[in-house]
Amino acid sequence: MSGATNKANLQPAYVLHSRPYRDTSLLLEVLTPEFGRVGLIARGARGPKSKIRALLQPFRGLLVSWSGRGELYTLNNVEEVTPTRSLHGDGLASGFYLNELLMRLTERHDPHPRTFSGYVRAIEALAVGAAGPRALRLFEKYLLEDLGYGLLLDHDAVTLEAIEEDQLYCYEIERGPVAAQTCVGGVMMRGHSLISLHNDELEDPDSLQEAKRLMRSVLGWYLGARPLRSREMVYAVVDGGIGWSRDDEPR
Amino acid sequence: MGYSPLIDRLVESLRCLPGVGPKSAQRMAFHLLERNREGALALSDNLRQAVEGIGNCRSCRTLTEHDQCSLCASDRRDRTVLCVVETPADVLVLEKATGFRGLYFVLMGHLSPLDGIGPKELGMDLLLDRLDQGEIVEVILATNATVEGEATAHYISQAARSRGIRSTRIAHGVPLGGELEYIDGGTLSHAFADRRET
Repeated sequence: MSGATNKANLQPAYVLHSRPYRDTSLLLEVLTPEFGRVGLIARGARGPKSKIRALLQPFRGLLVSWSGRGELYTLNNVEEVTPTRSLHGDGLASGFYLNELLMRLTERHDPHPRTFSGYVRAIEALAVGAAGPRALRLFEKYLLEDLGYGLLLDHDAVTLEAIEEDQLYCYEIERGPVAAQTCVGGVMMRGHSLISLHNDELEDPDSLQEAKRLMRSVLGWYLGARPLRSREMVYAVVDGGIGWSRDDEPR
Repeated sequence: MGYSPLIDRLVESLRCLPGVGPKSAQRMAFHLLERNREGALALSDNLRQAVEGIGNCRSCRTLTEHDQCSLCASDRRDRTVLCVVETPADVLVLEKATGFRGLYFVLMGHLSPLDGIGPKELGMDLLLDRLDQGEIVEVILATNATVEGEATAHYISQAARSRGIRSTRIAHGVPLGGELEYIDGGTLSHAFADRRET
């Protein structure tokens, strides 16, 4: 593929990360539904007369066109889909968390359409400040599925029987839930939470909390030893306290 | 080129300047050698002295050759208002453009988790110490209008609020002489949402 010219026209995209490139350009990592994560060079985007700099901020729904060959393409055109609400405060921290997950876990040019739609929904939820945690958990679930690490949520990994609402399970990473009263090296969960996550519901606080613990443990497994920087930077506003807390996770 | 290793080295060193490619570096090198050797010597002296002598102000972290910069040391500044900016250049433009009489704090960057830049890298401890001293009644957040600048401002505003200090954010909106038609949607929606009574 590297020899052929690669072109895309008005592809939906979100900027995940940008850094300065040469004197006036930006090197962008964008997330798209059809092409996955793509590296783009936005020529002149840092120049004093650049009109697209404001558009090329993270968390804005864009349509981008590019062309080029090799690993990095040239950004030809960018438009905003509809003016999106910008993220604020804690929503921003969670947004950084999503972007860091994507930068760490996805490869360039690996299409993840479900991840993309999960991402869009999560960003929209964070922008209005409602149902943020639920959108984050669902995004994490889709991401794991697209990466080929999909979670087993509807039946017992040993007995293969359907998960029961009232039963307690121990979720073992890379294996699945096993009916158990105690849990070592796994995540303890109620059957109800597993089913709720399986059905994309997560409407009660307990299920949300358990799903969060499960996702944290599973993602931690695939992320390896290097911690997520955005997780270290979550604003601990809970107790009116302040500071980034190391143990807390984006809600 | 290769006929003079010294010239090659000079050209190569000049390329560390922003916006200078091989061609302009060569032009600069020849200009200095052919026409302005005195200027070149002054440049090299000043460069060396600046690089060796300039460090960070102990109060606001801006660049200075003294222990404390002239703004922080001045007794004519209002010590109850602190303006937080990202770079020393921001201090200069604000000093020029505004009649601000308070003090500054220079972060030397912004929070950017994806680049591994957290509160520690930005000297937030020093800033929080300043807030703890109790002299400051208002923090003006003049970080850039980028996502990272916004995150940085939020972090600091939380810290200020928890200490009972008022925090304000500089406004984002329609530039002077700007026509609405040509302004990007994000800026316009900000300007519209933050409109004020006239």
